Amino acid sequence: MACHHRCPRPATGAGGGATNSRDGQGDPGHDTPGAETEPDPRFTLANERTFLAWNRTALALVVAGLGIVQLLPPFPGVPWGRHVLGVPLIVLGATVAGTAYLEWRRNQVALRHRRALPRSVLPQVLAATIGGIAALAAIVLLVSAVR
Amino acid sequence: MPASDPQDRDPPDRDPQDRDPEDLDPGLARERTRLAWARTAIAFAAVGAVVVRKDVIDGLIVLAGAPLIWAMGRFAVRKKRPEQASARLLVVTVSVIVTAVLATLVAFLGHSPASLDQIFPRHG
Repeated sequence: MACHHRCPRPATGAGGGATNSRDGQGDPGHDTPGAETEPDPRFTLANERTFLAWNRTALALVVAGLGIVQLLPPFPGVPWGRHVLGVPLIVLGATVAGTAYLEWRRNQVALRHRRALPRSVLPQVLAATIGGIAALAAIVLLVSAVR
Repeated sequence: MPASDPQDRDPPDRDPQDRDPEDLDPGLARERTRLAWARTAIAFAAVGAVVVRKDVIDGLIVLAGAPLIWAMGRFAVRKKRPEQASARLLVVTVSVIVTAVLATLVAFLGHSPASLDQIFPRHG
């Protein structure tokens, strides 16, 4: 069967299918963890899609922050409330975009050296910041209601 | 089939474009990636449409990112050298950061509505 030699290996985790080596034939370095090889195109493309998804998330954060500042009516008694809530979301968007690029590079290096993928810090950063902004929004609303 | 048929293996120096498409694109990963680039371009257009309502110049700058991202996506799924992919994704990152900077400028310098009536004006 021709595909026995030509098809990339199926995904079997961080080790088995991480490169498009041909069953270890010819170059023994291909199966050596740590040796630099060309990753399987599927993993490269998946890494690229993850990067793009984070960037779309970043754009959503930017437009959400801009919407809070420019589209919401002011909170009575809290004139700075909209900026306090909106600007951190915009800054978070820029941070997510920059970090997503760094993580894409780290993942690509890990794939090339057949190492385990490093853990991403973006989910924690995103959850913590959005949680903090939600708490801040509750405080702004309370202050606005009291005044 | 003999395991060592030399015609059946891809030599390392063979042009990737000449390979069997199924060899390079199992599971339509390239198609999914091309669609991801298209979604990203649409996201840029949507953000630009929001910004252009508040600041025309800044909005047009962001809107210009949409065809740029779309065009890069057209070439992204072709087999390129790794440093080219890195530069392409760096352009996306810089575009998002520039969008964030422009949004910050609009947030501080743009005219914010002072009341709900300015957002939804009453007629009559």
